[in-house]
Amino acid sequence: MFNLEQSIAEWRRQMLAAGINNSSVLDELECHLREDVERGMQSGLSGEAAFQAAVKQIGLPVSLKREFAKVAPRKRVLLGILKGILAGSFGASPSLSAFTTSARRTLELARLEAPRLHHDFVGTEHVLLGLLTVENGTIPDILNRMGVNPEEVRKQVEKSISMFSFEGGTAHLPYTPRVNKALRIAAREARACKQACISAEHLFLGLLLEGDGVAARVLKTFGVNVQTTRQEVLSELGRSQGGI
Amino acid sequence: MRTMIERELVAASTEPLILSLLTKGESYGYELIQEVKRLSGDQIQWTDGMLYPVLHRMEEHGWIKSRWVEIENGRKRKYYSIKKGGRQILKEKREQWSLLSSVFSGLWKGQHV
Repeated sequence: MFNLEQSIAEWRRQMLAAGINNSSVLDELECHLREDVERGMQSGLSGEAAFQAAVKQIGLPVSLKREFAKVAPRKRVLLGILKGILAGSFGASPSLSAFTTSARRTLELARLEAPRLHHDFVGTEHVLLGLLTVENGTIPDILNRMGVNPEEVRKQVEKSISMFSFEGGTAHLPYTPRVNKALRIAAREARACKQACISAEHLFLGLLLEGDGVAARVLKTFGVNVQTTRQEVLSELGRSQGGI
Repeated sequence: MRTMIERELVAASTEPLILSLLTKGESYGYELIQEVKRLSGDQIQWTDGMLYPVLHRMEEHGWIKSRWVEIENGRKRKYYSIKKGGRQILKEKREQWSLLSSVFSGLWKGQHV
């Protein structure tokens, strides 16, 4: 039995797989597809036939990706590379394989938070939001134990962020120098507790110890200090044996 | 027999066509495509998806701007409208196309191919 919603979701996944990963672009294409399906059905086609015709008419994912790639503004790409160099994102910070799955997922989420907040960089604030939202993350528990409401922290981070307009993909957003510093501190902390990989808890410590970023400043306003956090992190790591 | 417009000509005329349609008011991708099909008697055929990269590039150039509008039951549409810069570009394109058109008209006057 043909299911339009499922078919549209599958079509969207194919677009995503072809590299069209800007959700606003996908929304716009989906909106077009739906209009075309509706029109087809009004003219007497079955849902399935209308869907097939609309998919054909909108074009192949690869050719669309190629056209959208041409639009990618050169100026911003170059600016991004320049910022990347300034931010020392080439080689200076630990490689992804040095992180635990949960820490990697946190950094992925940070990358998604950035464009949602209209930022063209990944800052300490985005990494902190990643830590608060990552699936099965321990940081909300750690904060709760220190008497801090994670939800309040999230609200405070979003409030401290200045908004400016940016639209673009998420793949090449550079880390700010502060995030790179936090990542290096996280690596040092992981080594100090003889962990093979940098876990999400180390990332959290890294953000705090970095000291000047939005994340550190917000955490400080909640009275989160390095000493207590390190103890909490150590006991958390002891509990989960090796980190998340 | 149907005379389809060649690929190169379609490519060259897409931007002036979009700008001209938007001078009539705000519109969205699907509607723009339908309008071009209707006006050309189905002889200008865009691969639908290809319109969007063009729209995005034109927005990047500052010729047009866009906004999401909620239609019914939570669905939304991205509407485009022309900006001052777009009107200026359209004026230039129009002069070029008019010039070409009048050159051809002059050459072909009284000729039967």
